[in-house]
Amino acid sequence: MKIGVYFCNCGTNIADKIDPEKVKAAITALPDVAYFKTADFICSEDGKTFLEEDLKETRPDRVVIAACSPRDHENTFMRVLAKAGMNPYLMQMVNIREQVAWVTADNERAAQKAITAIRGAIARVRLHQPLEKKELEACPDALIIGAGPAGLKAALTLAEAGRKVVLVEKTPVIGGMPVRFEELFPNMECGPCMLESILGEVLHGDYAENIELLTLAEVVDVAGFYGNFIVKIRQNPRYVDTHQCIGCGECIAGCPASAKNEFNCGLNERKAIDFPFMGALPNAPSIDTATCVRWKGEECKVCKESCPMGEDVVNFEDREQILERNVGAVLLATGSSLYDCTAIPGLGYGKLPDVYTSLEFERILSSSGPTNGEVATANGTAPRSIAIIHCVGSLDPDHRHYCSGVCCQYAFKFNHLIESKLPQTKVYHFYKELVIPGKEGFSLYHHATENHNAELYRYEKIGSLKISAGTKGSKTIKNSSFGKETVTADMVILCPAMVPAAGSEQLGAMLEVSRDRFGFFEELHGRLDASQSKIKGVYLAGTCQAPMDIQKAMLQGMATAGYVLSGLAEGKKLEIEPITAAIDEERCAGCRICLSVCPYKAIGFDAEKKKSEVNAVLCHGCGTCVSGCPAGAITGNHFTNEEILAEIGGMLA
Amino acid sequence: MSGNKKTAGFEPKIVGFLCNWCSYAGADKAGTAQTPYPPNVHVVKVMCSGRVDPQFVMEAYENGADGVIILACHPGDCHYKEGNYRAVQRNRILKQLLSQFGIEEERCRLDYVSAGEGEKFVRVITEMVESVKRLGPLSVNKKRAAV
Ligand code: FES
Repeated sequence: MKIGVYFCNCGTNIADKIDPEKVKAAITALPDVAYFKTADFICSEDGKTFLEEDLKETRPDRVVIAACSPRDHENTFMRVLAKAGMNPYLMQMVNIREQVAWVTADNERAAQKAITAIRGAIARVRLHQPLEKKELEACPDALIIGAGPAGLKAALTLAEAGRKVVLVEKTPVIGGMPVRFEELFPNMECGPCMLESILGEVLHGDYAENIELLTLAEVVDVAGFYGNFIVKIRQNPRYVDTHQCIGCGECIAGCPASAKNEFNCGLNERKAIDFPFMGALPNAPSIDTATCVRWKGEECKVCKESCPMGEDVVNFEDREQILERNVGAVLLATGSSLYDCTAIPGLGYGKLPDVYTSLEFERILSSSGPTNGEVATANGTAPRSIAIIHCVGSLDPDHRHYCSGVCCQYAFKFNHLIESKLPQTKVYHFYKELVIPGKEGFSLYHHATENHNAELYRYEKIGSLKISAGTKGSKTIKNSSFGKETVTADMVILCPAMVPAAGSEQLGAMLEVSRDRFGFFEELHGRLDASQSKIKGVYLAGTCQAPMDIQKAMLQGMATAGYVLSGLAEGKKLEIEPITAAIDEERCAGCRICLSVCPYKAIGFDAEKKKSEVNAVLCHGCGTCVSGCPAGAITGNHFTNEEILAEIGGMLA
Repeated sequence: MSGNKKTAGFEPKIVGFLCNWCSYAGADKAGTAQTPYPPNVHVVKVMCSGRVDPQFVMEAYENGADGVIILACHPGDCHYKEGNYRAVQRNRILKQLLSQFGIEEERCRLDYVSAGEGEKFVRVITEMVESVKRLGPLSVNKKRAAV
């Protein structure tokens, strides 16, 4: 074997401290070292040309480069090797600058330390194997779960780039939370109007044909991995053909059955066939079979007969279907819900009338809501005073540790809306902390604080607030902390912490996507990769990852689309890094310890053969399974036991 | 005082297993800051501290190392999520094994150094070298030297 050693002087950075001649004398004495060459800056253009030409001429079997940190130039030199026609993995770098020359006081000892390290590298590099990047076909299309702001933005971005998107939404409507809000902070825009353009684009825009929208649908199974997921989707029946339906609502009027409307938080009733709310898109009603009398055995077909578009628009024979789709990536945009206010009994939620959550109040304010936008107490009168409780369950180790970052802003939005609807009504804000981030939030805050009808009180802990029934249907709010205020209000609005949506747990389990201690889907890295999950090819957008406002959710939707666009492209193969683990079937005893230690679920178990197998696409090459395997059946490419042991031996020889 | 005799002129050989993402970068940071530290630790880079097989550590002692140091990302910061927890688990077992061989606990240290902690790297390395100096050469090695 012919080993070539290159020593970079790095100008004077290395050579001034480590005498190349001394190193040369020690290293050339080792077996198989064909030559030892010094150069000034191997990473410079001249240096790279020198290295390339020299490799072509001398044709060594293995190369050792003693220079700076491999974190600086390992890739540079690997590319030079490849250009010179050598397998780039047949090289080992030795860090004699950052870890020797720059940190050793004594020149003699620096030279000795460099020699030791180079000896280790020589011993190791002998065992290096030529490794190849593998390539794999990948599907450039994506599945998006959740058609709220984040999911919609991601879908449109991908569709505009020509990607096919399967957009799965479990409710009959798209638009997520904000389509239920009459106005949005900070600029008091109308929620449905703002989203209208995006919803319209998704349904009938220029790129709509790239989006397969499945409402009333749920993902029931996901198999495969990045680039090649196979997903099964349960399409629940709507019983109304969305293509033929014109959304006139004739079918609704005659329907004899009704139930609480969950889209209005149960504050009013809807028919068995109905829209979730006026203006909901897609513009077609659906039948709720739990309510419809036909499903209770009656021969009712009022809706079917009242349809002006013909008898087959309403179709009682519609059945659940299981659809299978192939996608390269999965985007989770499943949104959030609110912390359960009954967990804080002192607030009276669920017991006292006129105590509402913020979401309920949003619907009350909405012109498409249960009261068509009229704010009234249970007695039917306009409230003379309304208390808004901020931070319900937030910044509180007994409930939720975090601040959701949006509640103060919508609380001041409420203030504004109350003021315009009921100019005489007093508004009391009770807050633990006021949080109004960003460059736009302040105006609603100033508006509220300058309004003489609004008063702000601070409380210490949510437990220091007690809400009880007062006289004539009013509520008494007692603050036992700080200013010890007691106020009377006819209506109370609670602003609870944002929490992950119901079903996140099952979805996370299905995709093997981990969740943080609050139940939100966990990001790969809080700052670098907040839109990637820890499972390759599964991305996170919107409030399923963390509490955030609409702006951030939209941005994260774009971000996830970015990952798909750059990572997967038509005709582009997936490159698989060769530094992965490989299992020797012969030696694998089937104990499955490797499966339990792999952080990426990259190891599967072949039940028939009773052997573990590594999926090289998912493997990140950490080597934890390699050292964990009791049978020594796993090899960590480029970091094999033999290579590491040889390095240790070489150093200590 | 007796320790002084032992340590006089003794320069221990120590093998350091550094994970690629935090600790190796931390060592480079100390380099960029050009803070001198004793040159006794010879670094073996691994992708993650979870890759460090107890066998590597034993091999180091057998080949003449007087000490071994494993440096990992801080708990929760492992580039591969939980490799450093595995390293800690293995290290516990390793320590029991070492005591059976009569190898002092201080000869095997696991610590956390992040990419930004150049100063901590220097401190940990310096402490390690000093503590191994105090212990003197590893007795298995002394025996080997005598043979
Ligand atoms: S990568 Fe540093 S300990 Fe795992």
